[in-house]
Amino acid sequence: MSDTGHTVKSYAEEMQSLNDDLVKMGSLTESQLADAMEAVIKLDKESVDKIVKNDSKINALRSAIDNQITTVLVKRAPMAVDLRITISTMKISHDLERIGDLAKSVAKKVTPLPIDLPDELVNSLRRLGDLVQKQLKDVLDAYLNNSKEKAVEIWRKDEQVDDLTNLAMNEVANYLQKDKKNLEMATHLLFVTKNIERAGDHITNIAESLYYLIEGEYLEGARPKGKPLDS
Amino acid sequence: MELNNSKIKIKSKNLNVYYGNKQALHNINLEINNKEVTALIGPSGCGKSTFIRCINRMNDTIDICKVDGSIEIDGKEVNDKNVDVVTLREKIGMVFQKPNPFPKSIYDNIAYGPTIHGIGEKKDEMDKIVETSLKKAALWDEVKDRLNEPGTGLSGGQQQRLCIARALSVNPEVILMDEPCSSLDPIATAKIEELIDDLKKSYTIVIVTHSMAQAVRVSQKTGFFHLGKIIEVDTTEKIFKNPANKMTQDYITGRFG
Repeated sequence: MSDTGHTVKSYAEEMQSLNDDLVKMGSLTESQLADAMEAVIKLDKESVDKIVKNDSKINALRSAIDNQITTVLVKRAPMAVDLRITISTMKISHDLERIGDLAKSVAKKVTPLPIDLPDELVNSLRRLGDLVQKQLKDVLDAYLNNSKEKAVEIWRKDEQVDDLTNLAMNEVANYLQKDKKNLEMATHLLFVTKNIERAGDHITNIAESLYYLIEGEYLEGARPKGKPLDS
Repeated sequence: MELNNSKIKIKSKNLNVYYGNKQALHNINLEINNKEVTALIGPSGCGKSTFIRCINRMNDTIDICKVDGSIEIDGKEVNDKNVDVVTLREKIGMVFQKPNPFPKSIYDNIAYGPTIHGIGEKKDEMDKIVETSLKKAALWDEVKDRLNEPGTGLSGGQQQRLCIARALSVNPEVILMDEPCSSLDPIATAKIEELIDDLKKSYTIVIVTHSMAQAVRVSQKTGFFHLGKIIEVDTTEKIFKNPANKMTQDYITGRFG
Protein backbone atom coordinates (compact mmCIF):
# COMPACT_ATOMS: atom_id res chain seq x y z
CA MET A 1 0.00 0.00 0.00
CA SER A 2 2.70 2.50 0.93
CA ASP A 3 5.18 3.56 -1.72
CA THR A 4 8.81 3.98 -0.88
CA GLY A 5 9.11 7.61 -1.89
CA HIS A 6 9.84 8.95 1.59
CA THR A 7 13.00 11.00 1.91
CA VAL A 8 13.62 9.27 5.25
CA LYS A 9 14.23 5.63 4.38
CA SER A 10 13.35 4.29 7.83
CA TYR A 11 9.92 5.97 7.58
CA ALA A 12 9.26 4.14 4.32
CA GLU A 13 10.39 0.91 5.95
CA GLU A 14 8.04 1.42 8.89
CA MET A 15 5.09 2.00 6.56
CA GLN A 16 6.09 -1.02 4.49
CA SER A 17 6.29 -3.17 7.59
CA LEU A 18 2.77 -2.08 8.62
CA ASN A 19 1.54 -3.08 5.19
CA ASP A 20 3.33 -6.45 5.30
CA ASP A 21 1.95 -7.31 8.72
CA LEU A 22 -1.57 -6.38 7.70
CA VAL A 23 -1.34 -8.57 4.59
CA LYS A 24 -0.01 -11.43 6.71
CA MET A 25 -2.85 -10.93 9.17
CA GLY A 26 -5.40 -10.88 6.35
CA SER A 27 -4.09 -14.12 4.95
CA LEU A 28 -4.15 -15.85 8.38
CA THR A 29 -7.69 -14.62 9.04
CA GLU A 30 -8.80 -15.90 5.64
CA SER A 31 -7.45 -19.39 6.46
CA GLN A 32 -9.01 -19.35 9.91
CA LEU A 33 -12.44 -18.46 8.56
CA ALA A 34 -12.13 -21.11 5.82
CA ASP A 35 -11.05 -23.76 8.36
CA ALA A 36 -13.87 -22.83 10.75
CA MET A 37 -16.47 -23.05 7.96
CA GLU A 38 -15.12 -26.37 6.78
CA ALA A 39 -15.27 -27.70 10.35
CA VAL A 40 -18.94 -26.67 10.55
CA ILE A 41 -19.95 -28.05 7.18
CA LYS A 42 -18.10 -31.34 7.61
CA LEU A 43 -18.74 -31.40 11.36
CA ASP A 44 -15.02 -32.03 11.68
CA LYS A 45 -14.46 -31.96 15.43
CA GLU A 46 -10.77 -32.87 15.09
CA SER A 47 -9.77 -29.54 13.60
CA VAL A 48 -11.34 -27.40 16.35
CA ASP A 49 -8.29 -27.34 18.62
CA LYS A 50 -5.99 -26.23 15.82
CA ILE A 51 -8.33 -23.39 14.85
CA VAL A 52 -8.61 -22.22 18.46
CA LYS A 53 -4.82 -22.30 18.82
CA ASN A 54 -4.16 -20.43 15.58
CA ASP A 55 -6.25 -17.48 16.72
CA SER A 56 -3.39 -16.34 18.96
CA LYS A 57 -1.21 -15.76 15.86
CA ILE A 58 -3.76 -13.25 14.58
CA ASN A 59 -3.95 -11.56 17.98
CA ALA A 60 -0.17 -11.31 18.14
CA LEU A 61 -0.06 -9.60 14.76
CA ARG A 62 -2.72 -7.13 15.86
CA SER A 63 -0.67 -6.23 18.93
CA ALA A 64 2.43 -5.85 16.77
CA ILE A 65 0.55 -3.54 14.40
CA ASP A 66 -0.81 -1.48 17.32
CA ASN A 67 2.72 -1.02 18.65
CA GLN A 68 4.10 -0.06 15.27
CA ILE A 69 1.32 2.46 14.77
CA THR A 70 1.95 4.08 18.14
CA THR A 71 5.61 4.43 17.17
CA VAL A 72 4.79 5.88 13.75
CA LEU A 73 2.40 8.42 15.31
CA VAL A 74 5.01 9.54 17.82
CA LYS A 75 7.99 9.52 15.51
CA ARG A 76 6.53 10.73 12.23
CA ALA A 77 3.29 12.62 12.94
CA PRO A 78 2.04 11.22 9.60
CA MET A 79 0.14 13.53 7.26
CA ALA A 80 -2.24 13.11 4.34
CA VAL A 81 -1.99 9.63 2.76
CA ASP A 82 0.39 8.40 5.48
CA LEU A 83 -2.09 9.52 8.12
CA ARG A 84 -4.89 7.72 6.32
CA ILE A 85 -2.80 4.56 5.92
CA THR A 86 -1.94 4.61 9.62
CA ILE A 87 -5.50 5.16 10.81
CA SER A 88 -6.99 2.67 8.34
CA THR A 89 -4.39 0.00 9.10
CA MET A 90 -5.26 0.26 12.77
CA LYS A 91 -8.97 -0.06 12.07
CA ILE A 92 -8.59 -2.87 9.53
CA SER A 93 -6.31 -4.86 11.85
CA HIS A 94 -8.91 -4.60 14.61
CA ASP A 95 -11.65 -5.82 12.27
CA LEU A 96 -9.47 -8.73 11.11
CA GLU A 97 -8.79 -9.66 14.70
CA ARG A 98 -12.52 -9.68 15.43
CA ILE A 99 -13.15 -11.88 12.36
CA GLY A 100 -10.51 -14.23 13.76
CA ASP A 101 -12.33 -14.30 17.10
CA LEU A 102 -15.64 -15.02 15.38
CA ALA A 103 -14.07 -17.84 13.35
CA LYS A 104 -12.77 -19.31 16.60
CA SER A 105 -16.23 -19.06 18.20
CA VAL A 106 -17.79 -20.75 15.16
CA ALA A 107 -15.26 -23.57 15.39
CA LYS A 108 -15.86 -24.07 19.11
CA LYS A 109 -19.57 -24.64 18.44
CA VAL A 110 -18.72 -27.63 16.24
CA THR A 111 -17.77 -29.83 19.20
CA PRO A 112 -21.28 -30.25 20.69
CA LEU A 113 -23.12 -30.44 17.34
CA PRO A 114 -24.67 -33.78 16.26
CA ILE A 115 -23.36 -35.32 13.04
CA ASP A 116 -26.81 -35.77 11.51
CA LEU A 117 -27.90 -32.19 10.88
CA PRO A 118 -30.49 -31.76 8.08
CA ASP A 119 -28.95 -31.18 4.64
CA GLU A 120 -30.98 -27.99 4.05
CA LEU A 121 -29.56 -26.50 7.21
CA VAL A 122 -25.96 -27.46 6.41
CA ASN A 123 -26.40 -26.16 2.86
CA SER A 124 -27.74 -22.82 4.03
CA LEU A 125 -24.75 -22.40 6.35
CA ARG A 126 -22.43 -23.37 3.52
CA ARG A 127 -23.93 -20.74 1.22
CA LEU A 128 -23.62 -18.06 3.89
CA GLY A 129 -20.07 -19.12 4.77
CA ASP A 130 -19.01 -19.23 1.12
CA LEU A 131 -20.28 -15.71 0.52
CA VAL A 132 -18.59 -14.30 3.62
CA GLN A 133 -15.32 -16.02 2.70
CA LYS A 134 -15.58 -14.61 -0.82
CA GLN A 135 -16.22 -11.15 0.66
CA LEU A 136 -13.13 -11.46 2.85
CA LYS A 137 -10.96 -12.60 -0.05
CA ASP A 138 -12.30 -9.77 -2.21
CA VAL A 139 -11.72 -7.09 0.39
CA LEU A 140 -8.14 -8.26 0.92
CA ASP A 141 -7.58 -8.24 -2.84
CA ALA A 142 -9.11 -4.77 -3.03
CA TYR A 143 -6.64 -3.65 -0.35
CA LEU A 144 -3.69 -5.08 -2.28
CA ASN A 145 -4.89 -3.50 -5.52
CA ASN A 146 -5.88 -0.21 -3.88
CA SER A 147 -9.29 -0.48 -5.52
CA LYS A 148 -12.00 1.81 -4.21
CA GLU A 149 -14.48 0.44 -6.80
CA LYS A 150 -14.03 -3.05 -5.35
CA ALA A 151 -14.41 -1.64 -1.83
CA VAL A 152 -17.78 -0.12 -2.75
CA GLU A 153 -18.88 -3.35 -4.44
CA ILE A 154 -18.05 -5.39 -1.34
CA TRP A 155 -19.76 -2.85 0.89
CA ARG A 156 -22.95 -3.13 -1.16
CA LYS A 157 -22.81 -6.91 -1.19
CA ASP A 158 -23.27 -7.11 2.57
CA GLU A 159 -26.99 -7.00 1.82
CA GLN A 160 -26.68 -10.49 0.35
CA VAL A 161 -24.92 -11.65 3.51
CA ASP A 162 -27.90 -10.42 5.51
CA ASP A 163 -30.32 -12.23 3.20
CA LEU A 164 -28.43 -15.52 3.46
CA THR A 165 -28.23 -15.07 7.22
CA ASN A 166 -32.01 -14.81 7.36
CA LEU A 167 -32.39 -17.95 5.28
CA ALA A 168 -30.01 -19.86 7.55
CA MET A 169 -31.87 -18.58 10.61
CA ASN A 170 -35.10 -19.89 9.11
CA GLU A 171 -33.49 -23.30 8.60
CA VAL A 172 -32.40 -23.30 12.24
CA ALA A 173 -35.96 -22.40 13.26
CA ASN A 174 -37.32 -25.30 11.16
CA TYR A 175 -34.84 -27.65 12.79
CA LEU A 176 -36.05 -26.56 16.20
CA GLN A 177 -39.72 -26.86 15.25
CA LYS A 178 -39.21 -30.46 14.13
CA ASP A 179 -38.28 -31.54 17.64
CA LYS A 180 -38.17 -29.45 20.79
CA LYS A 181 -35.25 -31.59 21.98
CA ASN A 182 -33.17 -29.80 19.35
CA LEU A 183 -33.32 -26.62 21.43
CA GLU A 184 -29.76 -26.73 22.74
CA MET A 185 -28.28 -27.56 19.33
CA ALA A 186 -30.43 -24.94 17.65
CA THR A 187 -29.07 -22.35 20.07
CA HIS A 188 -25.50 -23.29 19.08
CA LEU A 189 -26.47 -23.07 15.43
CA LEU A 190 -28.00 -19.63 15.89
CA PHE A 191 -24.69 -18.47 17.36
CA VAL A 192 -22.81 -20.00 14.44
CA THR A 193 -25.08 -18.18 11.97
CA LYS A 194 -24.90 -14.90 13.82
CA ASN A 195 -21.11 -15.10 14.13
CA ILE A 196 -20.69 -15.63 10.39
CA GLU A 197 -22.96 -12.67 9.76
CA ARG A 198 -20.94 -10.55 12.23
CA ALA A 199 -17.78 -11.49 10.33
CA GLY A 200 -19.53 -10.10 7.25
CA ASP A 201 -20.14 -6.82 9.11
CA HIS A 202 -16.45 -6.52 9.95
CA ILE A 203 -15.64 -7.08 6.28
CA THR A 204 -17.96 -4.18 5.49
CA ASN A 205 -16.03 -2.09 8.05
CA ILE A 206 -12.80 -3.01 6.27
CA ALA A 207 -14.29 -1.93 2.94
CA GLU A 208 -15.18 1.43 4.54
CA SER A 209 -11.69 1.88 5.99
CA LEU A 210 -10.17 1.01 2.63
CA TYR A 211 -12.39 3.51 0.85
CA TYR A 212 -11.33 6.22 3.32
CA LEU A 213 -7.68 5.29 2.88
CA ILE A 214 -7.92 5.70 -0.90
CA GLU A 215 -10.37 8.57 -1.22
CA GLY A 216 -9.83 10.55 1.97
CA GLU A 217 -13.59 10.63 2.39
CA TYR A 218 -16.07 8.38 4.13
CA LEU A 219 -18.46 6.18 2.18
CA GLU A 220 -21.72 8.03 2.21
CA GLY A 221 -25.20 6.76 2.92
CA ALA A 222 -26.61 4.14 5.23
CA ARG A 223 -25.24 0.64 5.15
CA PRO A 224 -27.12 -1.71 2.87
CA LYS A 225 -29.56 -3.87 4.81
CA GLY A 226 -31.04 -7.21 3.87
CA LYS A 227 -34.71 -8.11 4.15
CA PRO A 228 -35.92 -8.59 7.74
CA LEU A 229 -36.22 -12.08 9.11
CA ASP A 230 -39.52 -13.77 8.22
CA SER A 231 -41.70 -14.16 11.26
CA MET B 1 -15.05 23.23 7.28
CA GLU B 2 -16.13 25.48 4.41
CA LEU B 3 -14.08 28.32 3.00
CA ASN B 4 -15.90 31.54 3.57
CA ASN B 5 -15.28 33.71 0.53
CA SER B 6 -17.50 36.53 1.64
CA LYS B 7 -14.97 37.94 4.07
CA ILE B 8 -11.77 38.34 2.11
CA LYS B 9 -9.26 40.69 3.75
CA ILE B 10 -6.31 40.37 1.41
CA LYS B 11 -6.42 39.39 -2.23
CA SER B 12 -3.50 38.96 -4.61
CA LYS B 13 -4.12 38.85 -8.33
CA ASN B 14 -1.51 37.76 -10.85
CA LEU B 15 1.22 38.86 -8.51
CA ASN B 16 4.75 38.58 -9.90
CA VAL B 17 7.94 39.46 -8.07
CA TYR B 18 11.41 39.70 -9.59
CA TYR B 19 14.78 40.06 -7.89
CA GLY B 20 16.79 41.45 -10.79
CA ASN B 21 16.43 38.88 -13.57
CA LYS B 22 15.23 36.16 -11.28
CA GLN B 23 11.50 35.74 -10.96
CA ALA B 24 10.65 34.86 -7.35
CA LEU B 25 6.85 34.73 -7.62
CA HIS B 26 4.76 33.67 -10.61
CA ASN B 27 1.15 34.79 -10.97
CA ILE B 28 0.14 34.38 -7.37
CA ASN B 29 -3.62 34.42 -6.87
CA LEU B 30 -4.44 34.06 -3.22
CA GLU B 31 -7.26 35.17 -0.99
CA ILE B 32 -6.78 35.62 2.74
CA ASN B 33 -9.84 35.66 4.93
CA ASN B 34 -10.54 38.26 7.56
CA LYS B 35 -9.95 37.26 11.20
CA GLU B 36 -8.60 33.88 10.30
CA VAL B 37 -5.14 32.34 10.32
CA THR B 38 -3.70 31.48 6.93
CA ALA B 39 -0.57 29.34 6.92
CA LEU B 40 1.90 29.39 4.05
CA ILE B 41 4.05 26.32 3.69
CA GLY B 42 6.66 25.14 1.19
CA PRO B 43 10.35 24.37 0.91
CA SER B 44 12.96 27.09 1.53
CA GLY B 45 13.17 29.56 -1.33
CA CYS B 46 9.67 28.78 -2.61
CA GLY B 47 8.52 32.40 -2.27
CA LYS B 48 6.30 32.31 0.79
CA SER B 49 8.28 34.99 2.66
CA THR B 50 8.54 37.06 -0.50
CA PHE B 51 4.77 36.86 -0.74
CA ILE B 52 4.07 38.13 2.77
CA ARG B 53 6.66 40.88 2.27
CA CYS B 54 4.52 42.09 -0.64
CA ILE B 55 1.57 42.57 1.69
CA ASN B 56 3.25 45.33 3.70
CA ARG B 57 5.57 46.39 0.86
CA MET B 58 8.71 45.31 2.65
CA ASN B 59 10.11 44.47 -0.76
CA ASP B 60 10.26 48.22 -1.48
CA THR B 61 13.40 48.28 0.62
CA ILE B 62 15.23 46.01 -1.84
CA ASP B 63 16.53 47.99 -4.81
CA ILE B 64 16.56 45.19 -7.35
CA CYS B 65 13.08 43.98 -6.41
CA LYS B 66 10.25 44.61 -8.83
CA VAL B 67 6.61 43.79 -8.11
CA ASP B 68 3.79 43.66 -10.65
CA GLY B 69 0.22 42.47 -10.45
CA SER B 70 -2.03 43.40 -7.61
CA ILE B 71 -2.44 43.00 -3.87
CA GLU B 72 -5.54 44.44 -2.33
CA ILE B 73 -6.40 44.93 1.32
CA ASP B 74 -10.09 45.55 1.89
CA GLY B 75 -10.36 46.11 -1.87
CA LYS B 76 -7.67 48.82 -1.96
CA GLU B 77 -4.51 48.36 -3.98
CA VAL B 78 -1.43 48.19 -1.76
CA ASN B 79 0.98 49.05 -4.58
CA ASP B 80 -0.87 52.23 -5.51
CA LYS B 81 1.44 55.24 -5.68
CA ASN B 82 -0.81 57.21 -3.32
CA VAL B 83 -0.53 54.63 -0.55
CA ASP B 84 1.59 55.90 2.32
CA VAL B 85 3.86 53.02 3.29
CA VAL B 86 4.12 54.15 6.92
CA THR B 87 0.33 54.15 7.29
CA LEU B 88 0.16 50.80 5.49
CA ARG B 89 2.63 49.25 7.92
CA GLU B 90 0.69 50.66 10.84
CA LYS B 91 -2.17 48.55 9.58
CA ILE B 92 0.02 45.50 9.02
CA GLY B 93 2.25 44.34 11.84
CA MET B 94 5.09 41.92 11.24
CA VAL B 95 6.91 39.41 13.42
CA PHE B 96 10.08 37.73 12.27
CA GLN B 97 11.93 34.48 12.71
CA LYS B 98 14.32 35.79 15.33
CA PRO B 99 12.88 38.05 17.99
CA ASN B 100 14.27 41.51 17.35
CA PRO B 101 13.41 43.81 20.24
CA PHE B 102 14.90 47.31 20.12
CA PRO B 103 17.83 47.82 22.50
CA LYS B 104 15.52 49.79 24.74
CA SER B 105 13.38 49.16 27.79
CA ILE B 106 10.35 46.88 27.57
CA TYR B 107 8.17 49.97 27.91
CA ASP B 108 9.93 51.88 25.13
CA ASN B 109 9.78 48.88 22.80
CA ILE B 110 6.00 49.15 22.90
CA ALA B 111 5.83 52.95 23.02
CA TYR B 112 8.07 53.38 19.97
CA GLY B 113 5.43 52.63 17.34
CA PRO B 114 2.64 54.77 18.78
CA THR B 115 5.12 57.64 19.26
CA ILE B 116 6.21 57.75 15.62
CA HIS B 117 2.57 57.53 14.56
CA GLY B 118 1.70 60.40 16.91
CA ILE B 119 -0.49 58.32 19.21
CA GLY B 120 -0.44 58.33 23.02
CA GLU B 121 1.26 61.67 23.56
CA LYS B 122 0.07 61.91 27.15
CA LYS B 123 1.88 59.71 29.68
CA ASP B 124 -1.25 57.99 31.00
CA GLU B 125 -2.46 57.31 27.46
CA MET B 126 0.86 55.70 26.61
CA ASP B 127 0.84 53.71 29.85
CA LYS B 128 -2.53 52.34 28.84
CA ILE B 129 -1.33 51.41 25.33
CA VAL B 130 1.73 49.64 26.78
CA GLU B 131 -0.38 47.72 29.27
CA THR B 132 -3.07 46.74 26.75
CA SER B 133 -0.53 45.65 24.13
CA LEU B 134 1.41 43.55 26.61
CA LYS B 135 -1.81 42.01 27.88
CA LYS B 136 -2.94 41.16 24.34
CA ALA B 137 0.42 39.50 23.78
CA ALA B 138 0.03 37.53 27.04
CA LEU B 139 3.21 39.05 28.46
CA TRP B 140 1.91 41.64 30.94
CA ASP B 141 1.92 39.41 34.02
CA GLU B 142 5.50 38.40 33.38
CA VAL B 143 6.92 41.90 32.86
CA LYS B 144 4.66 44.41 34.63
CA ASP B 145 7.14 44.86 37.48
CA ARG B 146 10.14 45.42 35.27
CA LEU B 147 8.93 47.61 32.42
CA ASN B 148 12.10 49.71 32.58
CA GLU B 149 14.43 46.78 32.10
CA PRO B 150 15.86 46.14 28.64
CA GLY B 151 13.70 44.09 26.28
CA THR B 152 16.77 42.16 25.20
CA GLY B 153 17.04 40.76 28.74
CA LEU B 154 13.89 38.67 28.32
CA SER B 155 13.90 34.99 27.30
CA GLY B 156 13.55 34.15 23.61
CA GLY B 157 9.86 33.35 23.89
CA GLN B 158 9.19 36.49 25.91
CA GLN B 159 11.14 38.59 23.39
CA GLN B 160 8.98 37.18 20.60
CA ARG B 161 5.82 38.05 22.53
CA LEU B 162 7.31 41.51 23.14
CA CYS B 163 7.68 41.87 19.36
CA ILE B 164 4.06 40.79 18.94
CA ALA B 165 3.00 43.33 21.60
CA ARG B 166 5.03 45.97 19.74
CA ALA B 167 3.18 45.12 16.52
CA LEU B 168 -0.16 45.30 18.33
CA SER B 169 0.56 48.70 19.91
CA VAL B 170 -0.42 50.60 16.76
CA ASN B 171 -3.74 48.76 16.35
CA PRO B 172 -3.01 46.80 13.20
CA GLU B 173 -5.60 44.82 11.27
CA VAL B 174 -3.22 42.23 9.85
CA ILE B 175 -0.29 40.47 11.49
CA LEU B 176 2.33 38.80 9.31
CA MET B 177 4.43 36.16 11.01
CA ASP B 178 7.51 34.80 9.30
CA GLU B 179 8.43 31.57 11.10
CA PRO B 180 7.75 33.16 14.49
CA CYS B 181 8.60 30.05 16.50
CA SER B 182 11.58 28.64 14.67
CA SER B 183 14.03 29.79 17.35
CA LEU B 184 11.80 28.95 20.32
CA ASP B 185 11.55 25.91 22.58
CA PRO B 186 8.30 23.86 22.68
CA ILE B 187 6.88 25.70 25.71
CA ALA B 188 7.54 29.15 24.25
CA THR B 189 6.13 27.87 20.93
CA ALA B 190 2.97 26.67 22.68
CA LYS B 191 2.55 30.12 24.25
CA ILE B 192 2.85 31.83 20.88
CA GLU B 193 0.39 29.35 19.34
CA GLU B 194 -2.06 29.96 22.17
CA LEU B 195 -1.63 33.68 21.54
CA ILE B 196 -2.28 33.23 17.81
CA ASP B 197 -5.51 31.39 18.66
CA ASP B 198 -6.57 34.31 20.77
CA LEU B 199 -5.44 37.04 18.36
CA LYS B 200 -7.32 35.62 15.40
CA LYS B 201 -10.56 36.81 17.00
CA SER B 202 -9.47 40.39 16.32
CA TYR B 203 -6.81 40.21 13.60
CA THR B 204 -6.14 38.63 10.25
CA ILE B 205 -2.99 36.53 10.57
CA VAL B 206 -0.70 35.18 7.88
CA ILE B 207 1.96 32.82 9.14
CA VAL B 208 4.88 31.31 7.25
CA THR B 209 5.98 28.09 8.88
CA HIS B 210 8.17 25.08 8.21
CA SER B 211 6.35 23.07 10.84
CA MET B 212 3.46 21.14 9.32
CA ALA B 213 2.16 20.34 12.77
CA GLN B 214 2.12 24.04 13.59
CA ALA B 215 0.24 24.86 10.39
CA VAL B 216 -2.35 22.22 11.31
CA ARG B 217 -2.64 23.51 14.86
CA VAL B 218 -2.96 27.23 14.24
CA SER B 219 -4.45 27.82 10.81
CA GLN B 220 -7.82 27.52 9.13
CA LYS B 221 -6.51 27.86 5.59
CA THR B 222 -3.21 26.68 4.12
CA GLY B 223 -1.39 27.59 0.92
CA PHE B 224 1.40 25.45 -0.46
CA PHE B 225 4.13 27.28 -2.45
CA HIS B 226 6.71 25.64 -4.66
CA LEU B 227 9.31 27.30 -6.89
CA GLY B 228 7.54 30.65 -6.70
CA LYS B 229 4.14 29.26 -7.60
CA ILE B 230 1.13 28.57 -5.49
CA ILE B 231 0.35 24.89 -5.96
CA GLU B 232 -2.69 24.41 -3.76
CA VAL B 233 -4.81 26.43 -1.34
CA ASP B 234 -7.59 24.91 0.70
CA THR B 235 -8.87 24.49 4.23
CA THR B 236 -6.06 23.32 6.48
CA GLU B 237 -8.03 20.20 7.26
CA LYS B 238 -8.27 19.24 3.59
CA ILE B 239 -4.62 20.01 2.85
CA PHE B 240 -3.28 17.82 5.64
CA LYS B 241 -5.78 14.97 5.46
CA ASN B 242 -6.43 14.70 1.77
CA PRO B 243 -4.66 17.20 -0.48
CA ALA B 244 -5.80 17.35 -4.11
CA ASN B 245 -2.36 17.90 -5.60
CA LYS B 246 0.30 15.19 -5.64
CA MET B 247 3.07 17.73 -5.14
CA THR B 248 1.38 18.98 -1.95
CA GLN B 249 1.03 15.43 -0.74
CA ASP B 250 4.67 14.64 -1.50
CA TYR B 251 5.81 17.73 0.38
CA ILE B 252 3.76 17.28 3.52
CA THR B 253 4.46 13.55 3.76
CA GLY B 254 8.21 14.01 3.31
CA ARG B 255 8.50 12.50 -0.15
CA PHE B 256 10.00 15.52 -1.82
CA GLY B 257 12.90 15.59 -4.30
